[in-house]
Amino acid sequence: MSILQVRDLHTQFFTQDGVVRAVDGVSFDLDQGETLAIVGESGCGKSVTAMSILRLIQAETGRIVSGSIKFEGRELTTLTEEQMRGIRGHDISMIFQEPMTSLNPVLTIGTQIAENVVRHLGVSWQEGLNRAQEMLELVKISDAKRRLDEYPHQLSGGMRQRVMIAMALACRPKLLIADEPTTALDVTIQAQILDLMLELKEKIDAAIVMITHDLGVVAETAQRVVVMYAGRKVEEATVGELFAHPMHPYTRGLMRAIPRLDIDAEAEGRRARLQEIPGMVPVLTQPIPGCAFAPRCPFATEKCTAERPPLVENRPGHIAACWHTDRVLEQAA
Amino acid sequence: MSDDKPSLEVRNLVKHFPIHGGLLQRQTGTVRAVDGVTFSIRRGETLGVVGESGCGKSTVGKTVLKLLEPTAGEILLDGVDVTDFSPGQMWSHRRQIQTVFQDPYSSMNPRMRAGDIVGEPLENFGLARGKAKDEQVASLFQRVGLRPENMRKFTHEFSGGQRQRLGIAKALAVNPEVIVADEPVSALDVSVQAQVLNLLIDLQEEYKLAYLFISHDLGVMRHISHRIAVMYLGRVVELTDKRTLFTRPLHPYTEALLSAAPVPDPARKRARRIILPGDVPSPAKPPSGCHFHTRCPYAIAECKTVDPKLLEVAPGHQVACIRRPVGTDFAPLTPTQ
Repeated sequence: MSILQVRDLHTQFFTQDGVVRAVDGVSFDLDQGETLAIVGESGCGKSVTAMSILRLIQAETGRIVSGSIKFEGRELTTLTEEQMRGIRGHDISMIFQEPMTSLNPVLTIGTQIAENVVRHLGVSWQEGLNRAQEMLELVKISDAKRRLDEYPHQLSGGMRQRVMIAMALACRPKLLIADEPTTALDVTIQAQILDLMLELKEKIDAAIVMITHDLGVVAETAQRVVVMYAGRKVEEATVGELFAHPMHPYTRGLMRAIPRLDIDAEAEGRRARLQEIPGMVPVLTQPIPGCAFAPRCPFATEKCTAERPPLVENRPGHIAACWHTDRVLEQAA
Repeated sequence: MSDDKPSLEVRNLVKHFPIHGGLLQRQTGTVRAVDGVTFSIRRGETLGVVGESGCGKSTVGKTVLKLLEPTAGEILLDGVDVTDFSPGQMWSHRRQIQTVFQDPYSSMNPRMRAGDIVGEPLENFGLARGKAKDEQVASLFQRVGLRPENMRKFTHEFSGGQRQRLGIAKALAVNPEVIVADEPVSALDVSVQAQVLNLLIDLQEEYKLAYLFISHDLGVMRHISHRIAVMYLGRVVELTDKRTLFTRPLHPYTEALLSAAPVPDPARKRARRIILPGDVPSPAKPPSGCHFHTRCPYAIAECKTVDPKLLEVAPGHQVACIRRPVGTDFAPLTPTQ
């Protein structure tokens, strides 16, 4: 059953340089208990999509201009701020990349978790603290009772991210949005946190939207992937399908551009060249009539710059927005 | 790589930072950022230094550049011991060793034009000025894939990838032998990162540059390095050619590090992921004996007391682990806990 439906979402920012079309008509569904990864590079709109779902776009700079976001059938785009506050941290919660900036430095860990629990579940302060301790134990923080009285600066980066997860899950959310949750962490700590998230997801049965730039994280955590480029969804498929048959030239380019740690990229004893994607991402203040990737795409034709390609299901459950999918797949074969 | 003399050699390099505290700001402790590191790099070779935050990899880079004074040890540039050189003496050798930083933006004067930034070292070292300098800068711009027209622009007008090209052009300007590159592609998106890595490889082959390449990214390491040193809490725990490191790691930390990194291939079922318990201990209070014993799944009682030496346990394969003695077979160790 689908828990989240995003339809034709347009989020824009109004700057001195013009209107930035950060999210430019994105749609996707998320099933209960599913993990969906949204992957793309800086400025592709993946984080703005997440912020839009939680209605965290700052009104002074930007807003959702059109589209619909339905959570359990309830339209979120038209809710008041007060109604949204009842949802954030309760039904939908979020984990950010840098836990230090999202934790309050002058409140203890226990207070911060308990506050949320008391507010949303209406329990007593003591019950809130008990829940906080339970949650810290759940995220495998040793000596949880003592940690309740500690401040964020007393914890390491990995521990802070565990606290963020504890806080996010304390009210048993149905949907968890994780925005680059392990990007700031070292590899061995990243492994701990990803492991923990997957384990807890099973226990709590929450759906996860995983925002990341790292295809490695996608491969190891998600069931389905949405690839974004310049504010648009360019491809969507299950993880296995996407990695086995990437269909959009951007996705294919991205996969070949990654230096692999599991493969020796050598040709005749020399280090092989990585496949480059030439050029850079387009400026989003100018309307892009055709495919946003066309200027960097080896398959591009005149049609690509003139007409925006629709998302088409070319293989079962696998959609891509490209005029030349047949040529792309032919070349891959 | 025909030249036998290494471009850069480092022997038992130590860099300690004092910790001051209390009312009188007395020294209350020492951060052992680099604690006895030895390696050498030949012409045209990349030595990768990999490790997690606080392992001392960046301090190695800064000390080798003499941006930090080494506490002990020797640094040899093209056979010349520069360890005790004063800044003045170092100046004449500065040309031989240049650096590329992670964030070129913060290392460039925002009020200078790009062409002047790249040309500044040429002028400083008296290599070229005036029109000759401009011509050299233009050719450097072309070599790193920037249009010479952009020489008039300011750094904020460039994208992240272009700025990194500027940083590389500046480092190349004085024709160095060694380049210390500290996380040069970490701030870049994958598609741009590939462009910069390709450029670095091309330049290395063209000019036979020696790279000391510092990164936390194992994929980047496997791609660009010839040999790799793995650091943990100020020490090199394993050093070997990259193929051996990635296919037959011997040190338990290397093994855990490699197993922890997510691989972009859902079809590849990993043999087993080693999740290390806890965090990296503070380099101000490193554990006794082997620094890694507190998190090591294979630690035995002696690991707490014996300082493991970095030994060549197999041809070209150095490891600092008492459970991997000289002549070790590559068989997996049995966990002790």
